[in-house]
Amino acid sequence: SLEVLDVSGTGLAELGAELLALPRLHTLLAKNNRLGGPGSLPKGLGQASLGRSLRVLNLSGNRFAEVPPALLGLRGLQSLSLGGNRLHGIPPDIQELRSLEFLYLGGNFITSIPPELANLPSLSYLVLCDNKIQSIPPQLAQLHSLRSLSLHNNLLTYLPREILNLVHLEELSLRGNPLVVRFVRDLTYNPPSLQELAGRTIKTRNVPYARSDLPENLVRYLSLASNCPNPKCGGVYFDSCVRQIKFVDFCGKYRLPLMHYLCSPECSSPCSSASQSSTSQSESDSEDEASVAARRMQKVLLG
Amino acid sequence: FRYTRNLVDNGNGKFNVMILCWGEGHGSSIHDHTDSHCFMKILQGNLKETLFEWPEKKGNGEMTKKSERVLRENQCAYINDSIGLHRVENISHTESAVSLHLYSPPFDSCNTFDQRTGHKHKVKMTFYSQFGERTLC
Repeated sequence: SLEVLDVSGTGLAELGAELLALPRLHTLLAKNNRLGGPGSLPKGLGQASLGRSLRVLNLSGNRFAEVPPALLGLRGLQSLSLGGNRLHGIPPDIQELRSLEFLYLGGNFITSIPPELANLPSLSYLVLCDNKIQSIPPQLAQLHSLRSLSLHNNLLTYLPREILNLVHLEELSLRGNPLVVRFVRDLTYNPPSLQELAGRTIKTRNVPYARSDLPENLVRYLSLASNCPNPKCGGVYFDSCVRQIKFVDFCGKYRLPLMHYLCSPECSSPCSSASQSSTSQSESDSEDEASVAARRMQKVLLG
Repeated sequence: FRYTRNLVDNGNGKFNVMILCWGEGHGSSIHDHTDSHCFMKILQGNLKETLFEWPEKKGNGEMTKKSERVLRENQCAYINDSIGLHRVENISHTESAVSLHLYSPPFDSCNTFDQRTGHKHKVKMTFYSQFGERTLC
């Protein structure tokens, strides 16, 4: 009937199958050991009753080079720590941990974040500090329950503008990232192909066509049109979009570089003020949804 | 979700003694000490203290680091505004840390500084608990 088991700092290289025979175990602490090789965790971890009963798992300070697939079956897990290991990435199947609220992955060698991480419906506390992360997928903004996001000491140069959509965010740490402070002039813009320009015109002007009018590949191509993220622009794009960094200014004290994807350089994003110039500097808040979001983020960043 | 400040004694208004609890990865902003004396003792774990120079009047560049050190269990540190500014952080990803702080005279607001620009911003400091009772805001 054991409920809490702490085998931290015991030099263990593997956790045995005896664990599966503990139906009431809800907290397992195994930090600072020598876990990380194949077979570190017992097979069938997810299928045993542990799969539903385990709430807290701490494997920090071990030698895991990847998130052990065995633990992805722990559907009842609320808190997972793999801090201070040797992880180079996060598997998309992390989304299987449907009950996860607390995820600590600080102090690894993670270079990117899979968008599937955003499918964790209850995630409120996400720690990714002290890694090698270069960009945040915009899908992360779908983590509506996120209250704390720790990103300090990574390799971020900008954030996706969608970060402003995290309405419940109370804490955000960004220090120790090479965030750009000036408009980056040399973001390459790949001009759209003729096929893309034709496709855009067909879509925006509603030029009628039937499947028999066009080769199959072009019919499929036309179906892949994406709406420009700017809700004020009715445009669409296929493969070519402009990446532009615009700064959101918080009282002139904190400038956050946000990456915008637009259908063309002439398309102004909702964050911009009336004037649009290609040499944009800081944008002042205007009266729309984006400014409300920006004010909220200001409170988070300035404390 | 961040480090907590727990007031233990307010010494008839002459000083504040508090216990700070730092989870893994928790750190403070760069801050000043509003003309008060500040003593700190590590009760559990380790805390890294990074000292910074005051930014220039019209500062608009990266703040200058003066020094950094890791304070171990039972070690003490002292700072006041004439010494400089500091950031305190628990850099461990596996252990939490606990520190004891004495501020004299007591203060409830200070300035936090953006390391990249030196810009400062006044903040009110709040307690997670006082004399063992959770403080709700």
